[in-house]
Amino acid sequence: MRNAIDVKGCFLLFLFACLCLTPCFAAGASPEFIPVGAVVPLTGRMAAGGKDVKAGYELAVHHINADGGIFVKELNKKLPLKLIILDDESDPVKTASRLEKLYSVDKVLVYLGGFSSELNVAGMSIAEKNKTPWLGVTIAVESALKRGFKYIFIPFGMSGAQTKAFFDLLDSIPKEQRPKKIANFELQADWGLECGEHVAKMAKERGYELMVEKYAAGTKDFSSMILAAKAAQAEALFSVPTPPQSIGLIKQMKELDYAPKVTLFVRGADFWTYWQALGADANYVMSDGNWDEKMPYPGNERLVKDYLAKFPEVKSIGMPVGPSYASVQILAKAIEKAGSLDREKIRNALVTTDMVTVKGPVKFRQDGPAEVIFGLRQWQNGKQQIVWPPDIATSKVLLAPPWSKR
Amino acid sequence: MGIGISCLITLALLLFPLFVKEEYYLNLIFLVSLYSILSHSWNVFGGLCGQISLGHAAFFGVGALSCRYAWIAGAPLPAALLMGGIGSVLVTCLVGIPTLKLRSHYFAIGTLAMAMIALITVQNQLPGVNFLPPELMAGYSVISRYYICVGVGLAAILFVGALKHSKIGLAMISIREDEDAAEAIGINIFRYKVVAMAISAFLAGLAGGLFAIYYVSFYRYIPFELTWSFDPLLITFIGGSGTVLGPVLGSLCYVILRETFALSMGQLSVIIFGAVFILIVLFFPKGLSGLIDKLHAGGPDSETEKQ
Repeated sequence: MRNAIDVKGCFLLFLFACLCLTPCFAAGASPEFIPVGAVVPLTGRMAAGGKDVKAGYELAVHHINADGGIFVKELNKKLPLKLIILDDESDPVKTASRLEKLYSVDKVLVYLGGFSSELNVAGMSIAEKNKTPWLGVTIAVESALKRGFKYIFIPFGMSGAQTKAFFDLLDSIPKEQRPKKIANFELQADWGLECGEHVAKMAKERGYELMVEKYAAGTKDFSSMILAAKAAQAEALFSVPTPPQSIGLIKQMKELDYAPKVTLFVRGADFWTYWQALGADANYVMSDGNWDEKMPYPGNERLVKDYLAKFPEVKSIGMPVGPSYASVQILAKAIEKAGSLDREKIRNALVTTDMVTVKGPVKFRQDGPAEVIFGLRQWQNGKQQIVWPPDIATSKVLLAPPWSKR
Repeated sequence: MGIGISCLITLALLLFPLFVKEEYYLNLIFLVSLYSILSHSWNVFGGLCGQISLGHAAFFGVGALSCRYAWIAGAPLPAALLMGGIGSVLVTCLVGIPTLKLRSHYFAIGTLAMAMIALITVQNQLPGVNFLPPELMAGYSVISRYYICVGVGLAAILFVGALKHSKIGLAMISIREDEDAAEAIGINIFRYKVVAMAISAFLAGLAGGLFAIYYVSFYRYIPFELTWSFDPLLITFIGGSGTVLGPVLGSLCYVILRETFALSMGQLSVIIFGAVFILIVLFFPKGLSGLIDKLHAGGPDSETEKQ
């Protein structure tokens, strides 16, 4: 008897769920705004990056709306963007569920991406399923673009662009000083492995010797890898460590007296916290230059000025702010070009994107990553200087001396 | 009377997608069902048999990958789902049975270690994303997944209800109450622990399978994340450990409250939900089902009072 009541109670709860979830909203009439949605990690382990992404989106939407909105030819009027941002708590399950809310309840026309490959991969598949254009940054794994997805647009330098910039910079160093041997500390995750393939291919093509040391995602002790690179006299180091790993790497490299002339830690050395943790030991380390405050492209000065006015306590603007801002610029241009609020037409307009954003020129290709500028930045006395490409460089690349001479 | 209400509610769930077109709401019921099945899985092992497992992420993950690969290889959805359950039982029994030699906190630590080893192994050996092939993507339908998940959820309720009052269920409860006393009256402790683990793994594998057929693409380590160990534990304690009602009530509370808080309170929601959880544990140590049971039946003969 008790069992029957218990089971009945369970069924009643299901009914309660059904009733709770019954929607009660009416369809809108003539559009007064253009709904755009993003699910971004604002809490949890990826919140720091998510907040930068959110700030970039909000500032771009603020600027576009302040300038009068986007002209939609079909309606013969300008409409403001309405940005709806939901938090996924750094959980890909919630990313998917909340993107469904944005699509089916808030009726967004376009999705903007979240932060990190892990969350963006969950998001982009929902966008593809819902046939809704998705514009996202802070994802560097190109494999996502090899799936024939039609609605995914990533105006961001990915693994191929990252490794190419590294080799281009090495090639630009005078021959007598140029490193001959490269060490790749290869992260055993999709991004690290993908970079590893590019590094191996380019090293062979450009005549560099290569040694590869592999490490797992949670590794904290890199001493054996460092000693192997030191013994092999590798003068350049490439890796994509997480921020705590990149801090640990430099500390251990100093202890073991290994100082390659060129070190690139994509992701690991991007943020101001890196300098805070290491101080002068962070000098000479290069980081991701998808965007920088000092980039000379139109609109970047306004972005930096208004960002710093809003967050005066910030010492260095997070890299994701610029690419996120650029995503909204690209979207606005595509809507204007489409002249319509139809998802398919916006998607078709996005495909033909060829414009200059705050992070430089962006052009999408049908069969792979977008054509974008991937800069490299280097920590030089507490500031990140753009050292690549040469036409926007704010400083020359400095080759690291041995630890004993710093 | 009970059968009438049950039929009515089943009918309501069957008709729900016909009236509610927004996939978001179907998605929420899907998640309630998924967490309910996973929590039932934890409840069989932890709530009925008294084995506090922190290894459910491994059960869930193995089920998810087994089902995903079977589905991509061409198995129909129900068969792939079953493969998820069976795959989880096989791997879990192989790796998990040695942990049954441990008792109490040591067992919890042992199973947590098992889950962490599984996570690290998958992170390193199976890096990358599992994307759905375009041909499967083209035929993807949320409604069919909704029906499968709700169907499995209802079946899990009936199964755990029957199990609890069966001879096996009573043996499990006696192990939970006092292992030595249970052994003294002739219950084969190890055998029943293995049975509980296998049932638990099967249910967790089914839940993992549902995850695998629902999400279009995911990093292979995601279903092995430790949150899949902690969430069912949390849900079962919110709802009421050792009861049939508890996991369902806990899942409803977990999914709907968290979603409502997250959408209405933004970043504050995490603190609010944490506070709600602490209040539930403080004031309703037998979970929400204990509270409902008291209110509904009253007196000391209610179900949770008997636990």
